Amino acid sequence: MNKQRTSTGQAFWATLQRDLLIAYKRKNDMANPFMFFLIVASLFPIGISPDPERLAEIAAGVLWISALLASLLAMDNLYRADYEDGSLEQLLLSPHPLYFLVLAKNIAHWLVSGLPVVLVSPLIAYMLNLPSESYMILFVTLLLGTPVFSLLGSIGVALTVGLGSRGLILAVITLPMSVPVLIAGTLAIEQTSNGASLSGFLAILGAMLLASISVAPLASGAALRISVN
Amino acid sequence: MTPATVDTPGQDIGTDASQSLTSAVMLDGTDLFCERDDRILFEQLNFTVSEGQVLQIKGSNGSGKTTLLHILCGLNDSYQGSIRWYGQAIETQAEEFYGALLYIGHRVGVNKVLTPLENLRWTCSLQQQVSDTELYRALAEVGLRGFEESQCFTLSAGQQQRASLARLLISDARLWVLDEPFTTLDAGGLSLLEGLLRSHADAGGAVIVTTHHDLRVADLQQMTLG
Amino acid sequence: MWLWFSKLGSPKWFYELSGKWLPWLIATMILFLVIGATWALLYVPQDYQQGLTNRIMYVHVPVASLSLSFFPLMAVAGTITLVWKMKLADMVVKVAAPLGAWFTALALASGSIWGVDTWGTWWIWDGRLTSLLLQLFLLLGIISLRSALEDSDAAARACALLSIVGCINVVVIKYSVDWWNTLHQPGTTFGMSSDQPNGPEFWIPLLIMGIAVALFFTVSLILATRNEILERERRSQWVQELVQE
Repeated sequence: MNKQRTSTGQAFWATLQRDLLIAYKRKNDMANPFMFFLIVASLFPIGISPDPERLAEIAAGVLWISALLASLLAMDNLYRADYEDGSLEQLLLSPHPLYFLVLAKNIAHWLVSGLPVVLVSPLIAYMLNLPSESYMILFVTLLLGTPVFSLLGSIGVALTVGLGSRGLILAVITLPMSVPVLIAGTLAIEQTSNGASLSGFLAILGAMLLASISVAPLASGAALRISVN
Repeated sequence: MTPATVDTPGQDIGTDASQSLTSAVMLDGTDLFCERDDRILFEQLNFTVSEGQVLQIKGSNGSGKTTLLHILCGLNDSYQGSIRWYGQAIETQAEEFYGALLYIGHRVGVNKVLTPLENLRWTCSLQQQVSDTELYRALAEVGLRGFEESQCFTLSAGQQQRASLARLLISDARLWVLDEPFTTLDAGGLSLLEGLLRSHADAGGAVIVTTHHDLRVADLQQMTLG
Repeated sequence: MWLWFSKLGSPKWFYELSGKWLPWLIATMILFLVIGATWALLYVPQDYQQGLTNRIMYVHVPVASLSLSFFPLMAVAGTITLVWKMKLADMVVKVAAPLGAWFTALALASGSIWGVDTWGTWWIWDGRLTSLLLQLFLLLGIISLRSALEDSDAAARACALLSIVGCINVVVIKYSVDWWNTLHQPGTTFGMSSDQPNGPEFWIPLLIMGIAVALFFTVSLILATRNEILERERRSQWVQELVQE
């Protein structure tokens, strides 16, 4: 009856697969943040001006802010179902380091909520008249930046998962924390169009991503323990 | 100010005293104290669970049964006192302890959109490797044959409980901690679970369970909170 | 060492000790405040560019620089709360958040009053003001998290954790906002420090006001903590006896 223990890697994969499977089975829920991104981004031309030149000026900011808000909206279902059905307790009682399990959940969550936003961003960029040479930069910076939104948001969600109404608190906690990424992302697009080199901005965004990958899941794990306590 | 009482039902002392003496103490708590929002849940609480023993925790609603179980598992650390695993502090051997612990809470840990099979596969793989044949066999044994591939929100509460209990068949954890596992079960489920507890204890495992159900197991200890 | 540490964590001990210190602290604070304010408002020569408005500097600079110390303070107290579960540290985290929000708000308000004359507008997205604004949002987040969590123990730890995360974040925010600001408005900002007069007749009163505001901060923190102690320990014997007197 003595069975083989799973390695941490296997537990990581099992968690990643499980969360992707849940997302697949709840396709409708998962489409919401994506739809939200499209709608918010298309409100700006209506609210500000359809003038292509003015749009080109604000396009980068609009895309980044819409991506940030979409990520915030998607965060809520990261731990909530697990908290309510008791799966979270199982996660915390696993013999494996919580860091990797939380990271697996964050990665799965980004793959289904962040990645689609990144993929569709060139389309919105076209509609907002972003200069065509900035498309690649937008795409790459969003690819580096949106995971940071997810990782930081995860801390806020983990802290508020036990609350009945947490929407606004989550926003107040998470949005200011996301400002550095927003700054780096929009500056990258703006400055490179003025002739600055991209590598410095990529290095900064990459550093932010690495720092949040190594620290944020630890904080999320600690926050989950506090919330279950 | 509610001292907890520990009593061992008379019939068990005679028959199993010798066995209790020889088997090792698996988990013991000394002088546990817990208060929540200025109210003392329990104080000076002592208990030991040895291999082959079932510890039944009773108590009225709100007496801190679930809190106590959370404390034992390390989900809650707002307490004073010491809890030891084979005589040593849990923090020093966390990986062994959590590898040997199986906890099923009041919320059973079954995701509603996944099937019993997928749920079982994930919860098991957090601890040990498991094959699909084992998963199917375990689900069949808890009476979920034919429901393996149905999403859990289509199942009844009792069936979801059974899906979580299937872990007991697969896991080789030595310590089971079960929070009100009988509540939603029907008569068949009751005897199934009781059988599982009995065979686990016979195989040298230990169980800590909160329930008001009269358990028929050999080496039973009872503890009442509140 | 350990004994000293656990004694420091005892609310009763802190209450008694701070009770002895408070009168002295308050007296020194008033002394510095009177000297500093009179000097700054009446005797410092008028700035040839900014005129009388410049005198708000003697409030703004001390308050703004002190408001930067809240997150480090809360992060340290939060770490102590998480690691040693010291109740006093949690009380500090709890009372420091609203106090920090007030200081930050005051720094923003005095900054924008100064701005009216310097920039001709109440608000400008100056680097320093922007990071102070974001710090204010983070503090408001901690306050609302505290009020939303019902279980006091969970609230204590959640806020402690958020303070630590927030402290790291405030540093990153500060640098990135400065960077953003210099890239966006090269040369257009009137730095608050760049054209500041720096003769001793200007900075000595500033120093005195700095000490006065720091004392004010200490006194407010101690008073708020004492309040919190009484509130939380209201069932304990020593508080009951205190109330009887």
